[in-house]
Amino acid sequence: MSTDFWVLIFVLAAAAFSIRILGLVAGDTIKASKHAWILEEIPGLIIISLVAASLTGQGLTTWIAAGAALAIAWLSNHVIWTMCGGVAVFALLNFMGSQGW
Amino acid sequence: MITILPLAAGAAIYGFAFGLLAAQVGFPWWGVALMSSLVHAGSSQIVAVEQFAASPAVIGAALASAALNLRYIGIVASLSDILDGLPLRFKLLAIHITGDENWALTMSERAKNPTIGAPFLIGSGIVMISVWTLSTSFGAIVGSNLPNLEEFGLGFAFTAAFIAWQEGYGVGIPDCFLG
Repeated sequence: MSTDFWVLIFVLAAAAFSIRILGLVAGDTIKASKHAWILEEIPGLIIISLVAASLTGQGLTTWIAAGAALAIAWLSNHVIWTMCGGVAVFALLNFMGSQGW
Repeated sequence: MITILPLAAGAAIYGFAFGLLAAQVGFPWWGVALMSSLVHAGSSQIVAVEQFAASPAVIGAALASAALNLRYIGIVASLSDILDGLPLRFKLLAIHITGDENWALTMSERAKNPTIGAPFLIGSGIVMISVWTLSTSFGAIVGSNLPNLEEFGLGFAFTAAFIAWQEGYGVGIPDCFLG
């Protein structure tokens, strides 16, 4: 493995861990301030952001599967059921598409 | 804790694909394993290796990767309550093995049951980093002779899981759609 590969791995590792340390310090600082309520809102905010980033620019199949997953999540409030249902709808739509339906 | 296993399976598929990509760029399997265990940030590893393949400038790849990882400031900050009281070495371990999946699962489970805390986060994190490291290494070893698993919907598993978790935070369907 060349020097460039070694450098890339250790620079990435240092950057990733530094960002996590920054988060640890930020969390403790915010928690000790009058803005501690922000920490309660962060998880929902990030999860919605991750969903939005996953769906942005995707095709109709993904959006229909996402709609099905949302319905299952709303009805069941269960992660595994939602994953299985969403994946099944996605695979079914892809299969139908490949068969020309 | 068993709820992390479907997510680990999804991560394994991405990990395998990343291993293939990294091997094509020239990383040996043990280099891929080293990167996965030290960096432990899937999407940013993929972006960094893609950037590195296009132009072997370490700084460009590192910056692209770091930009993707900025969300971990918020993710780790939100763990403040969970990590409170742990010795520093356990805090450092916990933040290293925290990824999108085990973090979201921990926060979602904690919203339902406040006794869920650091043991759940660390246990699920160990599962995820182990699966990620093994699957990326395996991908680098095996090569590119498998069918496209994306078409079977396995890549959609993460999106579906995040949709389920946002329900746990009460960000559901607006009332106007429910009649």
